[in-house]
Amino acid sequence: MDKIKSDELIKANKELAFQHEEKEKRAAELGIANKELAFQNIEKGKRAAELGIANKELVFQNKEKEKRAEELGLAYKELVFQNTEKEKRAAELSIANKELVFQNEEKEKRAAELSIANKELVFQNGEKEKRAAELIIANKELAFQNEEKEKRAAELIIANKELAFQNEEKEKRAAELIVANKELVFQSMQKEERAEEKEKRAAELIIANKELAFQNEEKEKRAAELIIANKELAFQNEEKEKRAAELIIANKELAFQNEEKEKRAAELIIANKELLAFTYVSSHDLQEPLRKIQTFVSVILENENENLSENGKYNFQRMQLAAGRMQLLIEDLLSFSRISTTDHKFEKTDLNIIVEEIKADLKDTIQGKNATIDASDLCPANLIPFQFRQLMYNLISNALKFSHPGRPSRIIIVSEIEKGNKLNNEKLSPEKNYCHIVVKDNGIGFEPEFSERIFEVFQKLHGKEIYAGTGIGLAIVKKIVENHNGTVTATGELNKGATFDIYLPAA
Amino acid sequence: MAAIDQEIPLNILLADDDIDDCIFFKGVLEKIPLLTCLTAVHNGEELMRQLTKEAYELPHVLFLDLNMPRKNGFECLSEIKLNPKLKHLPVVMFSTSHEQEVVSRLYRNGAQYFIRKPPVISQFEKIIQQTLILIGQNNLFQPAREDFVLVA
Repeated sequence: MDKIKSDELIKANKELAFQHEEKEKRAAELGIANKELAFQNIEKGKRAAELGIANKELVFQNKEKEKRAEELGLAYKELVFQNTEKEKRAAELSIANKELVFQNEEKEKRAAELSIANKELVFQNGEKEKRAAELIIANKELAFQNEEKEKRAAELIIANKELAFQNEEKEKRAAELIVANKELVFQSMQKEERAEEKEKRAAELIIANKELAFQNEEKEKRAAELIIANKELAFQNEEKEKRAAELIIANKELAFQNEEKEKRAAELIIANKELLAFTYVSSHDLQEPLRKIQTFVSVILENENENLSENGKYNFQRMQLAAGRMQLLIEDLLSFSRISTTDHKFEKTDLNIIVEEIKADLKDTIQGKNATIDASDLCPANLIPFQFRQLMYNLISNALKFSHPGRPSRIIIVSEIEKGNKLNNEKLSPEKNYCHIVVKDNGIGFEPEFSERIFEVFQKLHGKEIYAGTGIGLAIVKKIVENHNGTVTATGELNKGATFDIYLPAA
Repeated sequence: MAAIDQEIPLNILLADDDIDDCIFFKGVLEKIPLLTCLTAVHNGEELMRQLTKEAYELPHVLFLDLNMPRKNGFECLSEIKLNPKLKHLPVVMFSTSHEQEVVSRLYRNGAQYFIRKPPVISQFEKIIQQTLILIGQNNLFQPAREDFVLVA
């Protein structure tokens, strides 16, 4: 019995010893597990501290970004203001250009009233008009660029608002993070066993941080884009300033040229006055002594006739002829200069009436030469009446003077409106209408090689003993046609006749 | 020669600074078959003094040269036509040159006739006689414009 009991006791003791061992093992395991937990808590604390620093960093970056956005806003306003100023300047320049263009037109009118010497100036005016038109186009281009810039500026305003909105969102998020961090710190200090929750929270924070970092990158890109856009605007502003400077220079150039033109016009006016003074001197002061010579000669020939030898009489007669010729020259020179110095007033004129008046003036000569003048249905023309009357008079009296001795003189005058390209004259513009007047005779004509020379002053094809005249008549014809901005040509064939073609621009 | 019935001589006043022309004029009057009495003055001021003298009997006609010293023919013509006592005096303008504008202005200013001084003495005689006959026929009314210029 005792043996059984002691066996049982040994068994029980062994069992106890085993259990004790197991418990010790378990206690050791629990000690390790506790150490592990303590270690994890410390790690979590460190991690929370790092997140706190990261959040502070983000808050700082947000503030920097806000400052940056404000600076960009100011820079943008400045640019908008500069754009407005530039537009005003462009508008002022455009007005100045219009004014200049208007002044140019006025000048052209004046220049047109002056003599042929003004043609060069008229050409310069044409060039100026082109220049002014180019400037107007350039101004339109500038106005268009300004509009584009305004659009761009509007886009920037929207972009800035967007940035401001995102910044606000970030601030809110940062505030939330701060709260969250405080919560975490509190939880860590309490060392409660909410590890899972904390991990989740940490994971959320990591994601939130990534999100913020991504947003930061986006903002930086956007800021970089804005900087580029601002540089672009600044560049365009510089270009505009350059352009405005060029326009100012161009305007100064135009103003200078205008001054030069005015000077030139003033010089021409003085020159014309001098010419008028000369006209007066020749019309009176030269004619008076000449007339006296003629009168005295006629008195001697009349009163002293019986006292003179035949040779003396002959010499006085030659003297009378020479003086008469000088009188004719002075008168023709006068009418030649009068053509350039008198006012040019264009009027709608009936050529038929002019021809009829000339026929009446030349009635005796027409009868004496047994001449016929055919002129009917002449078209009305816009011309300077008294000048054109002189032109027709010179042509008709020339035709009568140079009539062929062997046949009755016949003069044909026709006129019609025709297009330049149908008129076979290279000086005419093909698309313009012309009043084409032809004066054709069957007189002695002339050799074709003289067709240009006969229009020059003092050019005569015949000696004065055969055909009286000064050689100014056709020069006057040419000058009058030029005063009408027209062209005159002569064609002739010896002993067959001469034809004069006049082309006047028609409306 | 167109004869006109003359009991009293035609009183002619000539205003011309040119001595040669005055001599020509005098010679012409001696040649033509009209009874005339010539007085000559040699500048515009002298002419106006003469015309405005008290108790001065106006001539039948005044021949007025355009180009004179001190006061020219234009000025004299205007003064005459603006003076109520003188405005009916027939004034024949007289000049070497024939400028269309000048002639038109003289017509507007009330001259009776315009004569261009001719270069030959026989023409001079002819035109003076013609003018004096016209003046004798009608010394009050200005002729039509186309009859204003007289040619020998």
